Amino acid sequence: MSEALKTKKKSNSISDPRYSCAVGASNTVVGIKGAVPIANCSPGCQLKQTAFLTFENGFQGSIYAGAGNMPSANSTENDIVFGGIKTLDQLIKSTLKVFNGDLYVVLTGCVGGLIGDDVSSLVNEYRDLGYPIVAVDTAGFKGNNLFGHEEVVNAIVDQFVGDYKGERKKGLINLWSEVPYYNQNWRGDYQELARILRGAGFEVNVLFGPENNGVKDWLRIPEAQFNLVVSPWVGVRNAEHLQEKYGQPFLHIPEIPIGAEATSEFIRKVVEFAGIDKEQSEKFIEQENGIYYYYLEHFSEFFAEYWYGMPSEFAITADSAYTLAYTKFLADQIGLIPRKAIISDDPPQKFREQIEKAFHNISEGVDVQVEFEEDGYLIEKSIKEVDFSSGKPLILASSWEINLANDKGALFFEVTPPSSETLIINRSFVGYKGALNLLEKIYSASVGGK
Amino acid sequence: MAKRLRQIAIYGKGGIGKSTTTQNLTAGLVEQGKHVLVVGCDPKADSTRLLLGGLHQKTVLDTIRDNKTEIQLSDLEKVGFKGVRCVESGGPEPGVGCAGRGIITSISMLEQLGAYTEDLDYVFYDVLGDVVCGGFAMPIREGKAKEIYIVASGEMMALYAANNICKGIAKYAQHGEVRLGGIICNSRNVDNELDLLRAFTKELNTQLIQYVPRNNIVQQAEIRKKTVIEFEPKSSQANVYRELAKNIDENEMFTVPTPMTQDRLEQILIDYGMMEKDYQI
Repeated sequence: MSEALKTKKKSNSISDPRYSCAVGASNTVVGIKGAVPIANCSPGCQLKQTAFLTFENGFQGSIYAGAGNMPSANSTENDIVFGGIKTLDQLIKSTLKVFNGDLYVVLTGCVGGLIGDDVSSLVNEYRDLGYPIVAVDTAGFKGNNLFGHEEVVNAIVDQFVGDYKGERKKGLINLWSEVPYYNQNWRGDYQELARILRGAGFEVNVLFGPENNGVKDWLRIPEAQFNLVVSPWVGVRNAEHLQEKYGQPFLHIPEIPIGAEATSEFIRKVVEFAGIDKEQSEKFIEQENGIYYYYLEHFSEFFAEYWYGMPSEFAITADSAYTLAYTKFLADQIGLIPRKAIISDDPPQKFREQIEKAFHNISEGVDVQVEFEEDGYLIEKSIKEVDFSSGKPLILASSWEINLANDKGALFFEVTPPSSETLIINRSFVGYKGALNLLEKIYSASVGGK
Repeated sequence: MAKRLRQIAIYGKGGIGKSTTTQNLTAGLVEQGKHVLVVGCDPKADSTRLLLGGLHQKTVLDTIRDNKTEIQLSDLEKVGFKGVRCVESGGPEPGVGCAGRGIITSISMLEQLGAYTEDLDYVFYDVLGDVVCGGFAMPIREGKAKEIYIVASGEMMALYAANNICKGIAKYAQHGEVRLGGIICNSRNVDNELDLLRAFTKELNTQLIQYVPRNNIVQQAEIRKKTVIEFEPKSSQANVYRELAKNIDENEMFTVPTPMTQDRLEQILIDYGMMEKDYQI
């Protein structure tokens, strides 16, 4: 046994993974309309990324050059010994013939990363010929798919968007929030966040998903008044980079708002930061609150009268963004007691204290000691140890926790990958509208449907 | 009864004379009637030039690069001076790919093709420079070379490299049978060289198995693509190499080396007049 294993209490391996590797950020590229990922990695790498991030994660499907259509170098031993540049060169040539992309992103995985293939010079040659192409180092040993996501964004900014000397447009916001495909409701959530910000009087540059207008939105990034990061940590590195590159300020709001109270507060924060006129945003808040509480009043009648199988406690394990947002809403707005919150996306150390703080006093008199754990065995162990009081608890987790939820007699649904018992087309649990969907989902489970 | 096959790896700082020493030593062994296979583990593919009278044309990795499906051992192996069998691993072009992985790939291929025949007495691996990565440690891993000789001189960097190589050997010796057989001094006519090497080898828990004096005849033979033993069989230098061959053939001292800390190594260098006290690397 190695010294490391003898001395380290925890195992060096992770069972039941909840994230994939950096080269899975090919899906971030797929999230941009008209962009084509070129996977410079071993055979099977992208199949696994697709299976984990898009298939067994709400069966989201894919678009254009995503999933099974993705160009891949399928590097083998010959590429390792002699270098993989020739294979990649051929792949780029073929991709340019087959896909009529507006942007090509070469993602290099472990093989090229280990042997030090000079991918950038090859890609630079194509860029010099006028092709919109960027190279990004997404070797799996460097980090997970969230690290890869941030790398891809910075690479596109540096190698495609480029320098900018023009004016910034007041009221124009670049929206950075969920990670395409990995955060399973990303499409619907981006739409809802964009709708809210537009309603409040902003022009919103949506960089991923159905409301993204392709790479022309990316070229507009430097024109925005500021970058808005709505996530506990993912995207902050990008906003810092944009600040350094373009002198563009950013506003970081760790919590994705859910429900009228949080969303109204969210709007006011953004409006305050932007310094735009409050009249429109206040009018919008009033209008949205009116609709929200119209529905909630109906719901409250059910909530007060229905006696059977209603959860009073919950446990959650998901990435930082969903864990924080759902815990806040359920604890603060619905009055459920958070018994366990486990963050599984391995946030960088420098963000952990800030994330922990966000869980303190999450609702009046309610304090959650959030845990950071990536290993499925330990996550299961931690939730298993919770002694839920009488009644059905609610567990929001991944497919790995289905059996655990059954053992606990819990209401259960999937919110994080892998999610193999959920199909998602357009779903959102955030903002004004999404909050109502989330309530429907939870309480349909309570009344017997799934 | 099958003969005992001795697999030997030769390491040492780049440019110290590993290939020259290995080939002259090999020539000494084949002269004695030994059956020897030399495997060059250097992407430059020049480890067998003196034995073959010219560069080996087709390396193992060349054949893999060409994607030839039916590879025979005869495609890779050439016979040189007095029947010595020679193979070159080869490698990628400089600055590209992974030469270390190339060594692993080519040694695996030699095994698959049955290069290690029963009639062999010796297999020599002539390995590039230092044990820079797992690929270059391939010859000393389990089941491969169990004897290592390090070529060094009295020059400081050669001793640094030798000490580092010993760290690699000590690591592999923990779980395998690999042992250090000794240090070969390829003299650079440095002051106090013999004493320094003796002190160095003692500290490393090994022996100075041969002192090879500097002699221009080595270069004259090299220019003519020959070993000294072939070029000037009667020269004193040829006899030095024959002695080295005999010492290795009769060697019974195999140890796990005890590599030094940098401070201790520098102290030895200072004691033997190599370093000023305030010298910093």
